[in-house]
This record gives sequence, structure tokens and C-alpha cells, in this order.
Amino acid sequence: MCNAFGIINSEGSNVNVEGVQDYRPVGAFSFLGRYRIIDFPISNMTNSGVNHIQVYVKSKPRSLIEHLGTGRHYNLNSKRGKLHILYGENLSDSSFYNHDVAAYRANMSAIEEVNYPYVIIAPSYMIYAMDYSSLLNKHIESGADITMVYQSVEDARNEFINCDVLNLNKQKGVLSIERNRGNYKTRNISLETYVLSKELFISLVNKAANISSLYSFRDMLNDECSELDVRGVAHRGYFVAINDFKSYYHANMELININKAMTLFDDEWPIYTRTNDSAPTQYYACSDVHHSVVSNGCLIEGTVENSVIGRGCTLKKGCVVKDSVVLPGVMIGEDVHIEGAVVDKKAKITRVKELIADAEHPAYVKRGDRI
Amino acid sequence: MKQENMLAMILAGGRGTRLEALTKKVAKPAVFYGGKYRIIDFPLSNCANSGINVVGVLTQYESVLLNSYVAGGSRWGLDAKNSGVFVLPPREKEDTDFNIYRGTADAISQNIDFIDSHDPDYVLILSGDHIYKMDYSKMLAHHKACGADATIAVLGVPMKEASRFGIMNTDETDRIIEFEEKPEKPKSNLASMGIYIFDWKLLRKMLIADMDNPNSNHDFGKDIIPTMLEDNKKLYAWKYKGYWKDVGTIDSLWEANMDLLDKNNELDLSDPNWKIYTEDVCAMPHFVGEHGKIIRSYVNQGCVIDGEVTNSVLFTNVKINQDAKVNDSVIMPEAVIGAGAVLNRVIVAEGVKIAPNAVVGDPNSDEIELVAKNVR
Repeated sequence: MCNAFGIINSEGSNVNVEGVQDYRPVGAFSFLGRYRIIDFPISNMTNSGVNHIQVYVKSKPRSLIEHLGTGRHYNLNSKRGKLHILYGENLSDSSFYNHDVAAYRANMSAIEEVNYPYVIIAPSYMIYAMDYSSLLNKHIESGADITMVYQSVEDARNEFINCDVLNLNKQKGVLSIERNRGNYKTRNISLETYVLSKELFISLVNKAANISSLYSFRDMLNDECSELDVRGVAHRGYFVAINDFKSYYHANMELININKAMTLFDDEWPIYTRTNDSAPTQYYACSDVHHSVVSNGCLIEGTVENSVIGRGCTLKKGCVVKDSVVLPGVMIGEDVHIEGAVVDKKAKITRVKELIADAEHPAYVKRGDRI
Repeated sequence: MKQENMLAMILAGGRGTRLEALTKKVAKPAVFYGGKYRIIDFPLSNCANSGINVVGVLTQYESVLLNSYVAGGSRWGLDAKNSGVFVLPPREKEDTDFNIYRGTADAISQNIDFIDSHDPDYVLILSGDHIYKMDYSKMLAHHKACGADATIAVLGVPMKEASRFGIMNTDETDRIIEFEEKPEKPKSNLASMGIYIFDWKLLRKMLIADMDNPNSNHDFGKDIIPTMLEDNKKLYAWKYKGYWKDVGTIDSLWEANMDLLDKNNELDLSDPNWKIYTEDVCAMPHFVGEHGKIIRSYVNQGCVIDGEVTNSVLFTNVKINQDAKVNDSVIMPEAVIGAGAVLNRVIVAEGVKIAPNAVVGDPNSDEIELVAKNVR
């Protein structure tokens, strides 16, 4: 049991995953064949004993709602637990106005009704494993008003662009929040994971709306750094932000390495997802698969190398899939050669026999496309 | 949609002695099959897919795991209102002595009160240890169309093997005129699959009579069906076409797993219109490492494969370490095959660890070896 409720925030305007995001919010992206990105923050919460979880959906909610359902598959208690999908009906189409503060205000009654004194907020576009119950304990013990999680990264020049950076003093007090513009190599990237009392949360949401209709919650937090006791807690281990197309591709690719994957996955910290009752994957006599991650329900006759294959894909004879991320339900026809691509859900590639891009600039095949 | 008023009873008390150590602590219906399933998933999924809402599961031998596995029925979607999977081990009753189930018919007799409480028109009797896909609603439609008192699903088997089965001899309308248990000189090749539909009122009467008959084995095949034929009841055969396997031995369990490796295998577990449901284990997708190689195999989620796997079925979370070679084998959940180990024609039981460089099984052996203990 964890004396807090959870909020899974929708991605802000700093996130733009070309192509893939046209069809669904980042939380609903397929990840590593079997998962959707939102499985990670929700599993973190349920594993931490957070039993009441609010998921905020900004736009294109269809695939997310289908995936989340009742939340039963996340090991939530079927009576005492709750997965609450909250959609801001009357929000503006403009992504500048359509931010988290607007969504929280649109659903304020649902927030006020929750009977927990603390709230843990986590983003839906970041992947990491973390025990929030010990984070909450740290927060309470420290006496801080707000606790924020960050990770010190060494590749901030090229990665985590436009993500938040926490400027910390020596005592790990947060001085300010700014965007990462790629000017420094080492930076404390914010995991956009915050712990605070429900009371303070509500007052900050309302305050933000009074200051500016363009203020998102992180803007408000930045203002408050000088007023309140805001502290940073470091996270170590696997951490990635899916904030652009390249990071989506690379996050999938790097986890093909089992040793790397074991820094995220842990038997004691299961990542739950919705089952679709597919059979095991069938490899035929002419298949040739190396260094790849393959989900259930696939029929594989071709060659797969250094790739992630989603659930229920069909890879026909003679095809070659290399350095690619293949989303669920894709059909790759005979003798088709794909290299360095992200192939979105249910695409069928039969006629075009060659689709080759380099891993630095991966190609994208649209959802349900016939090629 | 109006519910077809048929209730299913699955006989799942079987011991499966010939499956050796695999059935030491679990009943045969709970034995693993096909990379992620247990045998009982097949009749239960068939029931769910055929629109049957209430299923009784009759357990007896080592029933702890099986009881908890099927209870609730949510894994097969049998958990709506008016629906459910009911675990029915033998129980003490007010008016009779406590008795174990003396035979297949007795297991049903002892649960007449349970069946009555659901007030079905028809009762479907199934065995919990066969692998097949069947639409029982079609069988019921046939039962009704014939105006039958009982319908028995039959399978055409090769004539030379017919003497191993219970054989139904039928007339040109498929009415059963004679039943012969393992006949020396079979007159037909229609083998009983142990799947029966009965009109409940009639069966109820017969079971009550059978219970007190001291000469009865209390068995459907040996007692109930022959008595019905003697009484000139209308028994019809319903011919099933498709995959069906009784996995009674280590060899046949291995064989049934190997059948899945055929490209156009008849069982076709990937058919989206007739899914076989099972436990949703929380596992990663499977990882194929730098040295991994998989040829003609069936691999479930959670496996980590850095060795060579050929003609094999791997269950959940199996680890095949570097340079290990696994040929013509079935590796059950959580087993670990050490680096450089070589396996041929074996079934490795759940959680068994094979030490690095161990050599297990023989590629030239006729028999399949069951590895139920760690190999050093």
C-alpha cells in the first residue's frame, strides 16, 4: 500500500514523434514488440502499491482506451483499485493551450474526490523502472514540499532534446527547471516525476491557470522553485524519453541486447500489458533469426537480424528484416528487404522489394499502409 | 441471443500414470502442451468459443493446482454473470457416505444436484485430457436434428489401429447400432472421442439407476452407453474431422508437440477465430542473442535463446545458453539449458536445469527421454 494516488500525464508540446504520433498518443506506442509505453509507468505504480491511477488523454484516445480497458491486467485490485481514464472534452485544439494544467482543471472534481493525501505524477512518454513507495517515503521524511526525480545523463548534447533539466544546488535543492537545448554534455534530465501533497497539487494547478492560460504544470513548478522546498532525487538505471522519432527507434533497438534489457526488466518488478491470447511464435525451416526480440503470434519464414518484431507479424519466405522495428500485425512479403525502418501496425509490404535506410535516419512505413 | 441450454462437464480427475514424473504432482489435464498451454485449456476454450456458459470440472487426482488454475473461469472468458467454471472434487454430502469418484459416470452421478441447480436441457460430457478444437454447438445442432437421446463424437481412425479404440458401428443414418470396446476384428473405424451429449432428463434417470447397480463400473463407455443401446435408445454418431490427440504417454505428448511444427498443421493455434485461451503469464517477448539460431521451432514469450534450437518447442521463460544445441525436444517453462549442453529427443520438465556441456538424450533412440530432475 502506498498512501498516494497516481497521475499519468500526457506528453507535452516538447514531444513530437513524427509519423507514429499521427495515430495515437505516445503512451499508446507499441514498444519492444509486446508492450505499449504506458505499461511502464502504470506497472511502476501498481508494483509500488499505488491503487488509484488517473490516466490523462489529450487527443486520439482510441488505442489507449482499448489497451487500458479496466486496468485489470495491471494487477490492480479489482475492488479497491481504480484506473481512471480522463479525457478533457472541451480542450482547445491548439497544443499550446491543450496542456496538462487545462486537463487537470477540466477534471478537477475527479481529483478532489480521490481519498489519498499525496499524488505521484509520472509522464507517459518516458520509460524507466522505479519504486514510488520508497520515493514517497523519501519525500515525507525530507519534509520537502515537492520532490522531483532526475537522472544525470552523459549524452544530453544529442539526446533528451527539449526535455526538462533540473538545476540543482549541492543539497539537491531544485533551483530552476529549463529545457535541454543540447548545449551541455552532462545534464540532470528531469523524469517529470513529481511527488507532492494533493492539497498543494490542486492549489498549484489553480494558481497556474490564474497566471497564464499557456502555463503547463512544469512552468508552475519552475516558478515555485524559489518559493517552496523543492528537492531532486536521483534515479539510476535504464531511462529513456521517447520525444522524437529517432529516440523511439533507438530505444527499441538498444533493448535487443539482453544485458541492456535486464537493466530495465526485473523478475521482481514485472511490466504488465494486455494479453491478446496469441499462440507462441512459429519458426519455419527456412527462418534465420539473430540478435532480435520477437513477440508471440508471429509466423516467421524469413531472415531477421537486429530487429524488434511485434505480436502477430507474418514474415514470408526470403524476406530480410534488418535493423528495424516492426510493430504488431505487419506482413512482410516474399523476398522483401527492409533495413533501418520503423514499420507501423498492420502495414503490408509486398510489392516494393527494397526499403533501405540507415540507422541514423530510419525510414517510416505508415500504419496499415499497403506497399 | 438465446442461450443454448447446454451445460458442460469436464472429466479432469485422470492420473495419467504413463506420463511418469510429469503427473507426479498434477493431474493429466494440467500437463503443459504447445509452448504455453495446459491440456485442459483446449476443452475449456472450446466451451467458451462454442457459447457454453457453465462448465463443471470434475477433479480428483492431485487437484490442488488444477482447482486453482480453472477456478473463476476468467482465463477463458467464462466469468460473465450466469457463467462460470465450477471445480467439483468429490465431497461429503448430507445423505450419502463420502466416496471418491468410482468412474466417469459416477463423477457425474455425484454431481446431479449441481447440474440440477442449472436446469439444463442437455449435458455435454468431455474429457480433460485431449487436444483438439471442436465447435460443440454444431454437435448439439446435429443432436437436435436427429432427435437423439445421446450423441457421441466419433473420429475416423486408420482401420489397423481401430482395435485400440472404442468403436461405434452405425447404420446409414449415423445411428449407432453397436458399440465395441477395443474389438479384435473391428467392423468400422469410427472411434469414440469420449465426447457425449445427453438429454439431461434421460441421463439423470440412467445415472440414478447406475449408482446402485453393484455390477456396474460406473463408466460411460462400459456401462451407460451399452445400457442405452440395450434399451433401444436413439444414439447417433457425430463425425468429427480435424486434429485430435490423446496425449497419454511421454512419446505421444512429444509427438503432439512436434505436430505443431508442421507448416500447415491441422491444429492451427494461430486461428484468430478459434483462439485457445490460457494463463496470461507476465513475460518479456523472447530474445534471440548474438549466437542464437532458431530453425523450425515453436517459441513462447520470455525465452532467452543464445544457442541453437532446431525442431523444438520452447515454453515460457526457457533459457538456452550459448552454444547449447537443442534438437527435436520439448522444453517446459523456466528450464535452463547450460552453455554447450546438447539435447536430443527429450522432454525437459518445468524448471529443470541442465548443466553446461551435459549431453542428454539420444538422436537415434526410438523413445523420448523425460528429464524431470536437474542434470549435472
